[in-house]
Amino acid sequence: MSAKQRDKKKWLFYVSVIWLIINIFPGVCFSQPAAPPIVFGMPAPLGETASIAGWKAAQMAVEELNAKGGVSVGGVKRPIEIYSIDTREHEPGIPIHDALMAIEKLILEKKPHAIAAGPMRSEVLLAALDAIVYKYKLPYMVTISMTPVLQTKITENYDKYKYVFRINPNSIYVVKLLSEVMAFLGKEFGFKKAYLICQDVLWAKATINGVEKEMKATGWEIVGKDIYPTGASEFSASLTKVKETKAQVIVPVFDMPPAAVLLKQARRMKVPAIIAGGIEPAAHSDAWKVFGGEVEGMVNTIFTAGHIPVKALPKSVEFYEKYGKKWGKTEQEKFFGQTGAATAYDSVYVLADAIERAGTLDGEALVKALEKTDMMGSIGRIKFGKDHQVIYGFDPKESAIGVAFQWVKGERVVVFPAQVSEGKIILPPYMK
Amino acid sequence: MVMSILIYGGLNSIILALTALGFSLTIGISGVANLAHGGFYVFAGLLTWMLFDGLGLPYFIAILLSVGVTGLLGALMYWTVLLRVRGMVLSEVIATLAIGIGILEFFRWKGFVLYYGLPYFVEGSLEIAGVTIDYHRLSIIGIGFVLLVLLWLFTHYTKIGLAFRAIAQEEYTSLCFGIKSDWIAMLGVAFGSALAAIAAITILPLGTISIGVGYEVLLVAMAVAVVGGLGSTLGTLVASLILGYAQVITATFLAPHWMMVVYLVAIIVVLAIKPSGLFGELKELEERV
Repeated sequence: MSAKQRDKKKWLFYVSVIWLIINIFPGVCFSQPAAPPIVFGMPAPLGETASIAGWKAAQMAVEELNAKGGVSVGGVKRPIEIYSIDTREHEPGIPIHDALMAIEKLILEKKPHAIAAGPMRSEVLLAALDAIVYKYKLPYMVTISMTPVLQTKITENYDKYKYVFRINPNSIYVVKLLSEVMAFLGKEFGFKKAYLICQDVLWAKATINGVEKEMKATGWEIVGKDIYPTGASEFSASLTKVKETKAQVIVPVFDMPPAAVLLKQARRMKVPAIIAGGIEPAAHSDAWKVFGGEVEGMVNTIFTAGHIPVKALPKSVEFYEKYGKKWGKTEQEKFFGQTGAATAYDSVYVLADAIERAGTLDGEALVKALEKTDMMGSIGRIKFGKDHQVIYGFDPKESAIGVAFQWVKGERVVVFPAQVSEGKIILPPYMK
Repeated sequence: MVMSILIYGGLNSIILALTALGFSLTIGISGVANLAHGGFYVFAGLLTWMLFDGLGLPYFIAILLSVGVTGLLGALMYWTVLLRVRGMVLSEVIATLAIGIGILEFFRWKGFVLYYGLPYFVEGSLEIAGVTIDYHRLSIIGIGFVLLVLLWLFTHYTKIGLAFRAIAQEEYTSLCFGIKSDWIAMLGVAFGSALAAIAAITILPLGTISIGVGYEVLLVAMAVAVVGGLGSTLGTLVASLILGYAQVITATFLAPHWMMVVYLVAIIVVLAIKPSGLFGELKELEERV
């Protein structure tokens, strides 16, 4: 082999090596600076079921969006990152100030472009409005807290509070849902007498007072109303009165675990009245097992679709199944209560949609884009009112929806609203 | 209405007595206010649930194991922590409170934030004078009485029981009779913890197990013990009857909203009139002096 041929071979060898390197590691050779991520935050009480489920649902939405290449900001696809912080606001003795500090810590450390979900307690939300939201001017999506005071504040001082949007229903919608269920019971079975029992907390009292007003206006006789302290575990006084007054419906509104005693005691005392209201521990799909089947016949409410698959709303079924597949059915049974997960999931999509339409991450532009949101989510059609509250109604094609279901032989059967019902309310065996 | 008050008031009283018995026994024997009582209560409930529902053990075996393990946990707490601070009341209170919160928050941290149910002992119900009451509640009444009788027999006719009473009455004198007060105090704490477990397993099937129950149970146990007199078993029983009936009467004739206030009012009234409690002996001598 001549020297010239050897040089040619060497040259060919070097070219081949370079070609291989370029082909095997193209990202290394021609990488451009990666698009910076879009950052979302989720400050919430991460030891509480609605927030646990919400955090997992939000992560799931982020993964889905990133799998599609991320979110387009002004024509550039950018991945999403989401961070959480535990505000512990559900724990007894945790001052509001601690929760606010946690929210601010997340904002200062992770520098999110928007808050995608939280908080749970209305007290934290209202305090955060002035202390944090206005200060940092971040779009803030509310996914659990239910106080209607938020809408009043936004309406009265739009420029200051315009950054806050609520995906979950406020207590006014819950009253509306419960009142419609009662109207349905009255019409279907001719019931006229009801006994109201609720927990001594602000949202539950506001809800029961609203329901009482609506029921009286539609001709119901309210034969009794009792408010129980949060730790109560003995309900015989009320249940005896229910029997004596011959009330046909017991309307409970509770989110505390001891409310389980009320359900069990009513069955044990053979109280011949249907229980129709809102008891959070009895909304979970494993409640039949937890309560030993003593939820039979109870009509319960779920504030947002998606926490129960609603056949007439395919997105709710899709979300419910995807969550179960990703995090496990057992996890889903335990953490899916009345709200929190579907709202956090949809919230991430609502933000992504607004960012794409706005073409920027600027807070002011995002607020404008969010106000024009009109999309289908697992909770139904998502549109914000002027007060930045997602509009709730009874037709998922027109609005977001909450549903009422009845426990029948171990299954949750959606019975209200009529547009999505999958069965009729039937009288439980103890009323026949 | 009257029969309902009589029956459910009595039942509520027995539930209060069961809840407070372990707390009262511990303070009576060892002088330690075991503020980990609520933690042990929830621990026993969750352990039973795990053994029965998770491991599939027979319910009765799960109950026996839970009571035994909770008793051992109480003994361990005494031997590792309380022995070192015994006699320093504030340190005892801080230590037991910290252990109780530690147990409850450990479960919260491990994800036990939901609701867990235990089955009834007996299914079905019966009617007494027009008031329907279930067999499980009746069994609570039975268990409450049996426990009280057994406890009385134990403390009057067994060597360990007599030793319990001896150190409760006068620890230094009992030392002269060869009673190892630390051992007996440890057994007292273990007994109190096991009683908390029995209360949990008996009462929790009425509702569900949750972390918050631990804090509520501690409040109830303290209220009953303070009203009855710290360390007095008779006082615990009488205070339970007073508070149990007062709660049901308040809920029936005033409003259920005031049920929890009954505890607080009772504590304030008793402390103002007789600071040692209705049958308390621990402070009575001091008061006389």
